[in-house]
Amino acid sequence: MVFRRFVEIGRVVLVNYGKDRGKLGVIVDVVDHNRALVDGPLTGLARQTINWKSLTLTPFKVKIQHSSRTGVVRKAWEEAKITEQWQNTAWYKKLCARRNKQKLGDFDRFKVMIAKKRKSAMIHSQWKRLKSQQQ
Amino acid sequence: MVSKSRDVRRRLKEKAARKEAQLKTMSDKPSKPKMKWYPTEDKPRKLFLRKKPQKRTKLRASITPGTVLILLSGRFRGRRVIFLKQLASGLLLVTGPFELNGVPLRRVNQRYVIATSTKVDIQSVEIPPVDDSWFKKNKKNKKRSKEELTDTGKSKLPETFVNTQRSIDSQLVPLVKQVPFLKSYLCSRFCLSYGQFPHEMRF
Amino acid sequence: MKGWLHQYSIVGRKIPTEEEPEPPTYRLKIFAPNQVNAKSRFWYFLRKLKRVKKSSGEILNISEVFERKPTQVKNYGIWIRYKSRSDTINMYREYRDVTITGAVEQMYKDMSGRHRARWSSIWVLKAMPVAAKDCRRPKITQFHDSKIKFALPHQCPRASKRKYQTPFKAKRPTTIVQ
Repeated sequence: MVFRRFVEIGRVVLVNYGKDRGKLGVIVDVVDHNRALVDGPLTGLARQTINWKSLTLTPFKVKIQHSSRTGVVRKAWEEAKITEQWQNTAWYKKLCARRNKQKLGDFDRFKVMIAKKRKSAMIHSQWKRLKSQQQ
Repeated sequence: MVSKSRDVRRRLKEKAARKEAQLKTMSDKPSKPKMKWYPTEDKPRKLFLRKKPQKRTKLRASITPGTVLILLSGRFRGRRVIFLKQLASGLLLVTGPFELNGVPLRRVNQRYVIATSTKVDIQSVEIPPVDDSWFKKNKKNKKRSKEELTDTGKSKLPETFVNTQRSIDSQLVPLVKQVPFLKSYLCSRFCLSYGQFPHEMRF
Repeated sequence: MKGWLHQYSIVGRKIPTEEEPEPPTYRLKIFAPNQVNAKSRFWYFLRKLKRVKKSSGEILNISEVFERKPTQVKNYGIWIRYKSRSDTINMYREYRDVTITGAVEQMYKDMSGRHRARWSSIWVLKAMPVAAKDCRRPKITQFHDSKIKFALPHQCPRASKRKYQTPFKAKRPTTIVQ
């Protein structure tokens, strides 16, 4: 198996643990074998050291030098259009869908349940029809 | 022992003198017949109660007239009902409506209720003049005659109860039917499935 | 990451007497979890270094020293002296961190792990940022690469919150994220 995402200066990462969960950031510097200095000026992620354990590497990269300042990171981010690229990924959409699902009220959940039932009924009827045709 | 100071002693003397004088004046009055005996035990004294007028129970902010509630206890637990108004006792007046899910006009404590964000616009609905005593009346005829016991048929509800229920249902049901899916929503029961935690859910 | 250590700068001296109206003042920079502990450490070190005790001395000022640039990674050299079970040993250790207190914290944890040295048996003699070219330890110099690049070959999926973590899983997790 070949690795495609590496820890690099400028690698865009997703925080998946703690109070900044769900925010994107850029690796500005590698502190040691456990932590990186991460900055996310456009995502509300304060510049801080974060453990690899609570980071996920994304396929995106930003062109910066190591230990760049926040303003430089912001510019590079805007240039690479990371926000747009990220919002086009299926990953982001999945996260959004999950978040939206949590926001649903009781009545909405009921409506989703009905829609699901209808969908599966439609699939089932089609399946039956196709099956009978084959025979 | 420390002896009392002169001041204190004097004050005590004065007090005793006053009391004596008082007794003298009392003896002048026609005295009451003396009691022949004295109770061996003290009479039970009424305790002093600091009674305050009971405050009206505060209605939860999430509950307003027309809010769909989920009942949590009692016979109708899990049922979704419509909140009509708060009664003087602080209990909530709710109804299914009866026509849809079989929950009649009922009183429930707001503690045993989950308020959902769904609301039915019931401004146009005329809420029947139901108060706490209305419910008590219905419970009154507990004594059953022998005939009733032997009677296999169901005992009939008082006519007034049926009528009020009918009048409120006839107003509510058309309102409910206006909103898509709301009717079947009210007819269904609430339940939790695997991985659902009520304290983390939104309603 | 919020640490438990703070750096304090403490100024103290002997209480002036008639024989010695202007005693010399001393300043120590102390790493301690709080001011109370810092003052205690101050007197501990001063009585070892100079003939000044708490009973005959006074603290003139105590102030916390904050990191000037807590958003930049630096190399820190820490000179320590610690009492092992058999001997007293001087040491020089290097750490990479954003703050000096973070580096000293790392040192205390490292020393307790590698040498079973306790807080009380370690003296921090000197702690200061070191330029990259002066770093000696390969553990630190390996990160001195502006084009550093490495994979994370073993990533354990973590539940989003601690309360969702379970000790047992029905499935083995996939630890390789490409």
